[in-house]
Amino acid sequence: MIAVFFQQGLNGLVLGSTYVLIALGLTMIFGILEVINFAHGEIYMIGAFLTLFLTSIFGIPFLFAIPIAMIGSGLFGLLIQRVVFRPIIGKPMINGMLISFGLSVFLMNLSTLLFKADPRSLDSGFAHLNIRFLGLQITFERLLVIIIAILLVSILYLFIQHTKVGRAMRAVAEDREAAQAVGINIDRIHLLTFGIGCALASAAGSLAGAIFFVSPIMGWAPVIKSFVVVILGGFGNVMGAILAGLILGIVESFGGGYISYAYKDAYAFVILLLAFLLKPEGLLGGNR
Amino acid sequence: MKSFLRFIFALLLMFFLILAPWLFEKDYYIHLLVMACIYSMLAQSLGLIVGFTGQVSLCHATFYGIGAYISALLSLNYEMSFWVTFWFGGIGAALAAYIFGSIVLRLKGHFLAITTALFGIMVTLVLDNWVELTKGPMGLPGIPNPTPINILGFKIGFSSRTEYYYLALTFVFFMSTILYRIIHSRIGKAMLAIRENEEVAQSVGIDTMRFKLAAFTVGSGFAGIAGSFYAHYILFISPVSFTLSESINILVMMIFGGMQTFVGPIIGAITLTILPEFLRMTGALRLTLYGLVLILLIIFLPSGIVGSIKEKWSSSNEGK
Repeated sequence: MIAVFFQQGLNGLVLGSTYVLIALGLTMIFGILEVINFAHGEIYMIGAFLTLFLTSIFGIPFLFAIPIAMIGSGLFGLLIQRVVFRPIIGKPMINGMLISFGLSVFLMNLSTLLFKADPRSLDSGFAHLNIRFLGLQITFERLLVIIIAILLVSILYLFIQHTKVGRAMRAVAEDREAAQAVGINIDRIHLLTFGIGCALASAAGSLAGAIFFVSPIMGWAPVIKSFVVVILGGFGNVMGAILAGLILGIVESFGGGYISYAYKDAYAFVILLLAFLLKPEGLLGGNR
Repeated sequence: MKSFLRFIFALLLMFFLILAPWLFEKDYYIHLLVMACIYSMLAQSLGLIVGFTGQVSLCHATFYGIGAYISALLSLNYEMSFWVTFWFGGIGAALAAYIFGSIVLRLKGHFLAITTALFGIMVTLVLDNWVELTKGPMGLPGIPNPTPINILGFKIGFSSRTEYYYLALTFVFFMSTILYRIIHSRIGKAMLAIRENEEVAQSVGIDTMRFKLAAFTVGSGFAGIAGSFYAHYILFISPVSFTLSESINILVMMIFGGMQTFVGPIIGAITLTILPEFLRMTGALRLTLYGLVLILLIIFLPSGIVGSIKEKWSSSNEGK
């Protein structure tokens, strides 16, 4: 019983780590561009497909394929920022939401046309490597999700807190006009934010793709849940997103194991609704 | 001059709408007209919430679905007629919107949008999993037609699509009349004030929460009635018709027509119901194009068809 309990907790951490990686990009993009990006899940999907092709066609080892896919998705992120999101900066929020939804539908169905809808498995090469620890068992693939998430989050944290560019990003998030007044190139910060966000989503997609499967529709559900993470953590709040992502992963894992598996996708919403009821004035930092 | 043109336009439109089934003889075209009417109800009622009160709701199809399910279940399980159940469908959807709205309408902007989207997803999950009541993804087949009615001695049996079309047109007419009256009343002015600036509206003594809730409840109630009509027209419903994508689809229709205008949502609904039928393509290709068109629309025509025409009109008038 206890073992099952901890096993569920561990699975929850794995799940939560992917939410954290997706939500970090979403929350940064929101904090700096003030856009809700529905297409973020498709970047996650594209990252998974890139890793799949890199490992299966070019024979590149999984651990090297992930960073290459991150660079590829990051560059793609720059492209969509330029082409799709730049024209709507400063327009009403509903425009950003719909354009990103359009992008999401476009990318999802284009990939269905190109890659077919059937789920494929992504072989990381670690599928049979089991690690036992204090009576708990975890495949190395799953452990890798936690390790890489910690690694990427730490790098991101150091980058945001301790580099000049990171400081500029925080400044833009805090006050766009003031940042512009002191000579920060807003346009370049927007690009960079999108690139980083997409690279993180790509890593999450590659890791989740190895555990579950890779398919054109794989990004839709995780990104919706990551929105919950972003709201619970506070829009634009990086630490909040990390905490909320792990909490959601664990709740889903326990809920799916002990309450009802069919409703596992509903727990995110239930948490959110409870939060609204308990803190009706808005979550973390009031309403926007 | 302007009001005269408008009057002529309205008259022509009315003639066209009434004669439409005789112009397009194929059954399938009349089906499209009925669907266009249903989407007009949806887009226009969403217009009250999003266009005129400024509250972005991403769960309009959810209330559409709630209305459809209530109405279908009542007629299947209790053998009630459509003429009774559509009231329940509308009131049920409105009640659900009132309860949900009083929790979430204090949220603003992105928070509200995402929360409503999640609400829609959760209701879809419930419809999919509460198999004893809803039969899950299998859906509810065999919903009865509306029972025949007599109007001035004419018996209307709802056996042909044309009869449905006129009923749908009646619904659209009554709904837009009510919406028009709301928008052009003091209530409507308060709603507009909330859209333009909620803080200012509050500071001049408008109980913003009350009006937001009113718009949300009425708009969603109308969506419920549209759902009820849909259920008794298609005679089969399943959760896939009431998903987040459908909510966004309605939103797109509203914006495509022009969301801050009265007729915009209707124009958008008609165009986007009928136009895609000319692009006869299979699933993924069609959706790829849909996504692309949506992106181009938001970049190049952000205020919609009617909105853009209005802007052109007023700018050319200023020029004189």
